[in-house]
Amino acid sequence: MKWTRVLAIARKTLRSLKHDRRTVGFLVLMPLFMITIFGYTFGGSIKDVSVVVVNLDESDGNSSAAEAVLAELRAGGILKVERVYLLDPETDGYLGATDQAALVGSAVSEVESGDAWAAIVFWGNFTENVAQSVEDIGSVPTGGPGTITVYIDASNSNIAQAVMGEVRLTVQEVVVSEYHVLPPITVAEDRVYGEGAEFIDFFAPGVMGLAAMMVTFMLSIISFVHERSTGTLDRLLTTPATEGEIVAGYALALGLVGLIQSTVILVTAVALFQVQIVGSPLLVLLIIFVLGAGNQGLGFLLSSNAKNEFQAVQFMPIILFPSILLAGVFWPIEAVPDLLRPVSYFVPLTYAVEGCRSVMVRGWGLGDVWLQLAVLVGFAAVMLLLSALSLKKRR
Amino acid sequence: MKTSKGVKRRRVEKDGDAVVATKLRKEFGGLVAVSGLDLSIPKGTLYGMIGPNGSGKTTAIKMIVGRLRQTSGGARVLGEDSPLSARLADIGYMPQEMAIYTDLTVSENLQLFGSLYSMEREAYIKREEALLSMVDLSERRDSLVSQLSGGMKHRASLACAMIHDPEVLFLDEPTVGVDPELRVGFWQNFADLKARGKTIIITTHYMDEASRCDIVGMMRQGKLIAEGRPEELMERTSTSNLEDAFLEYSWRDSV
Repeated sequence: MKWTRVLAIARKTLRSLKHDRRTVGFLVLMPLFMITIFGYTFGGSIKDVSVVVVNLDESDGNSSAAEAVLAELRAGGILKVERVYLLDPETDGYLGATDQAALVGSAVSEVESGDAWAAIVFWGNFTENVAQSVEDIGSVPTGGPGTITVYIDASNSNIAQAVMGEVRLTVQEVVVSEYHVLPPITVAEDRVYGEGAEFIDFFAPGVMGLAAMMVTFMLSIISFVHERSTGTLDRLLTTPATEGEIVAGYALALGLVGLIQSTVILVTAVALFQVQIVGSPLLVLLIIFVLGAGNQGLGFLLSSNAKNEFQAVQFMPIILFPSILLAGVFWPIEAVPDLLRPVSYFVPLTYAVEGCRSVMVRGWGLGDVWLQLAVLVGFAAVMLLLSALSLKKRR
Repeated sequence: MKTSKGVKRRRVEKDGDAVVATKLRKEFGGLVAVSGLDLSIPKGTLYGMIGPNGSGKTTAIKMIVGRLRQTSGGARVLGEDSPLSARLADIGYMPQEMAIYTDLTVSENLQLFGSLYSMEREAYIKREEALLSMVDLSERRDSLVSQLSGGMKHRASLACAMIHDPEVLFLDEPTVGVDPELRVGFWQNFADLKARGKTIIITTHYMDEASRCDIVGMMRQGKLIAEGRPEELMERTSTSNLEDAFLEYSWRDSV
């Protein structure tokens, strides 16, 4: 081995980097970008999970254990109590319901509609039962334990765990600080969605969206950089093919690629991991198709800012990291720090993951995920329109 | 309306032009690539554009077919101003960089262009057969373009530009890397096309090839320094071949 030759190769490599200023910038800024975004998102914990509470506990005021637990839950920060349903017409939260079943029913319907992650119900005699259980410690119980039922949307396993954990812990803390002992208290979990769902059920829709997004974006940006550098794009535009036709043709093809890929993931997930698909698989595929078409457009637009495949690849992390970290693929948006949460709502993948998860775990139909689908259709339409317009511009 | 005979005749001539360029100019930053190019190429002409690298041939053609925006001036093809839309179906363009899909087979490339020109299935099949034998790629129709030699790629690219039998054919250096024997075949084909009334504009730096053209335009530093029939050009410069004629015109231009 001759060192002068090794040095010659090394020098040539560094020199060619020097000629590509953007790459030099990328090499410096990319790690900065990565450590910042990873640091912020990994540092975050779940908070502000929307819940509703039904307080049927008959003792009120200072003596009410339910009120005490509720106050602690509000103070905790993990849960955000949107509404408290009360039976007593004298109180502020009175909603006109005359029986317990109707009250619980309307709270649970908020969970069913996706407005709240959980409905926490303190049953009647909660305070009385807790006090009785404390007295009974060490002897035969004379009555049932104090009971709380959490009607929960377990389509997001991270959130479900956080809610259940928070309720159990808070009840224990409040009772222990009041009575200095811990009597049996029942915190029952009743799943509104995600009956029997495990982490993989929560995970699969996210991975599907992410995979479809990565592949369509990558194929699109690389294909178009190639089309531009080899002159085929110019050539296509000297045929009667219009800009719109070219862009739509690509969107169709890459949307289908996303579809095939999602089908593979779906089938594998069901076969190997018994992932449940409660809703329509076709609706899931529709969502993925639209996501794929939109990412094709995004890839196209960015391709006009890349001179070669190497520069195209640099766009990958810039687009991918926010999607991976902020779109609710691995952890819920509720765990994204406040600073970055607005960004989550600008990441199209967020809506695809939410849509797929709602269909697969909650069993929602087109009427329930129309918003997510509409956002994705809008994203795709804008991207494809901009692509066609940018093709019209000639040097 | 009364018009004089002369005016009328000139108009008829203009209608007979396949390609017209008027004061066509292109600057890239401060660099002038084409400076005030005037062309009028009658239908049914085999027109050769010759000149060294960087003389503006490719830039001129790109502006005429509408892939580059001119800085000033204008171009018309078959009566339509560039950038073309309605007339795109009537032109064929083979860029210098070949511009075919290397990850497709020869036949798949041809099918793509056939479909983009909305060709009928039967007409397409016939045409594909004829073109593949013309460019001598019948045996390699199912080979990926990336596996072909440089010359073969050029021939495949030429076939793609001709699939729809266009009225006007723009060929940017079509014979680079094509061996001499096949090149003779190519020129025979161009002559046949011309006989059928097609217009062909070819750029080349093979001077011997240019002598096969009806009209030769010599380009230097973005402008036309001479134009005429090959024998005229040689006669006017008292030279015996186009290469010497070009050198003579270049010298006159630089003085």
